[in-house]
Amino acid sequence: MSALALERDPATQARVIVALAKRALRVQLRRAQFLLPSFLLPLLLLAVVASGTSAAQNLPGFPATGSYVGFVVSGTIMQGTLLAGLMAGIAIAGDIEGGFFDRLLSAPIHRASIVLGRVLGTALIGVVQAILFLAVALLMGADFQGGVVGVVLTVMLAALSASAAAGLGATIALRTGSLSLMQNLFPFVFVLLFTAPAFFPRALLNPVLEAISGVNPLSYVVEGMRAALFDSPALGSVWGGFTAGIASVALTCALAVWAMRSRVRS
Amino acid sequence: MFSDHTAAKDAGATIIVEALERVYSSGLRAVDGVNLAVAAGEIYGFLGPNGAGKSTTVRILTTLLRPSGGRARVAGYDVVEQASQVRRSIGVALQEAALDPLMTGRELLELQGALHGLRRAESKLRADELLERVDLAPAADRLLNTYSGGMRRRLDLAMALVHRPDVLFLDEPTTGLDPVSRASLWSELRRLNEEGTTIFLTTQYLEEAEQLADRVGIIDHGKIVAEGTPQDLGRLVGEPGLYVKLIDQSQCDLARQLLAVHGAVSDREAGGLTIRTALGARAIAPIVRTLDEAQIEVDAVEVEEPTLDDVFLAVTGHRAEDVAGGEQS
Repeated sequence: MSALALERDPATQARVIVALAKRALRVQLRRAQFLLPSFLLPLLLLAVVASGTSAAQNLPGFPATGSYVGFVVSGTIMQGTLLAGLMAGIAIAGDIEGGFFDRLLSAPIHRASIVLGRVLGTALIGVVQAILFLAVALLMGADFQGGVVGVVLTVMLAALSASAAAGLGATIALRTGSLSLMQNLFPFVFVLLFTAPAFFPRALLNPVLEAISGVNPLSYVVEGMRAALFDSPALGSVWGGFTAGIASVALTCALAVWAMRSRVRS
Repeated sequence: MFSDHTAAKDAGATIIVEALERVYSSGLRAVDGVNLAVAAGEIYGFLGPNGAGKSTTVRILTTLLRPSGGRARVAGYDVVEQASQVRRSIGVALQEAALDPLMTGRELLELQGALHGLRRAESKLRADELLERVDLAPAADRLLNTYSGGMRRRLDLAMALVHRPDVLFLDEPTTGLDPVSRASLWSELRRLNEEGTTIFLTTQYLEEAEQLADRVGIIDHGKIVAEGTPQDLGRLVGEPGLYVKLIDQSQCDLARQLLAVHGAVSDREAGGLTIRTALGARAIAPIVRTLDEAQIEVDAVEVEEPTLDDVFLAVTGHRAEDVAGGEQS
């Protein structure tokens, strides 16, 4: 098969994407400085929020979800996947600064495959995070009325959230190529998180935050997770979550591919 | 399109470069009208100090950077318009082996195989074959952060060979390596060349070019200032030099007068004398005999090989110190 045909052959590019996703997953899980923010930090925040602010569930208007930890675990998953996305951006910036990115660019592969490989790897990390965080929530007394189907839908939404975050991280990394800048984006993850109803229902946010949360696609994803976990349309819309998630993935990946093309053209 | 002249002159060439230019946004002209042709099966050494334009040229030829002007074809394909075909035909090992320290040698080779369209089983087989070839089989499943510099370079080379490329680009492949690792890499490159691979290598070491290259181009401030066989370039420096160190430095004046019959004698700043003679190493015995007859004791006599710095000085009139501004990528 010719080079051009290989670059356009879906089966070949699928193999490339899977190989790059495997590398992303493998290397990230071997990197201690990745595991801390992506897995340990969200669990610590889950423990703190679940015990320290559990009185919030007694507020008028707080939905009945059995246990508070069951309600906030969706926010924990969101936090984990956002941090995984940031780490994906950091990894790309590290590849650019360290020269590994040139190795990828000098291979006869479609440029989009480089982005999609990283996004798929991060989506898989999102799946691992969601399963782990849900298991911990169950051990802490959560009861998910949505059952296995609710858990599966939540894991799928986590994968979408991680993919969108990876797309955004990749876009910034490819535009800037700066590892130090990527590392300084850490606080912005919490801005995105707290402008979505991650730990409190949207109705209990102050009017300004509530208005912002309405335009933050993560709001619909986290509410979709809750609706799935508790099989309750009152908590959000599962399909709304999928729509917001898929749209975010499409948008951020398109931006990342565009950033890649700009980088290669320079 | 390439000019008819170039096409005719370089028919059969694997790498053809015509009036290649690269100007960075800062205004730095890193590559300034480079012309060269490399025949199939040839080893071409690209010499120059840091910042001379070597790496920028290689980045253009490997499709990693777009030229600002001029044309280049590699393995029959235009590096801009047929970049994908070029990437399929070349193997690349860039400066300072860029390898992920948290992957094993085997994982990296298998990933490289996938990037070049090999199926999983084929990729595994090729990885095993290459690990054996570069003597890394025992370390195949160790993380890269445990590899020495020489091992990393050998793996880098193996990765460039995964898809059996026609042309191999190596950017300073032995910089920072110890002499044993350097010799081992040279031997592997010779073997590859004997198997038919065309090799384009950049280096700062004239010795490396002499050891490996059929032809050498010297680049300075983005322009090729000399091209030829290593022997041709060595001759630009003039006659070979012999360094004579005396035990008693106060006898230098007498020695200078006596040795004038063997060639042009000059003083060395660090002490001792340099005699330039067409006989080279064959002049050692007569020189020692002359000094011995005058009862001048000799501490050491060394043949001085021309260095890149000497060639640079001869060709450009200035030393091969780092070029101000350096290269950008």
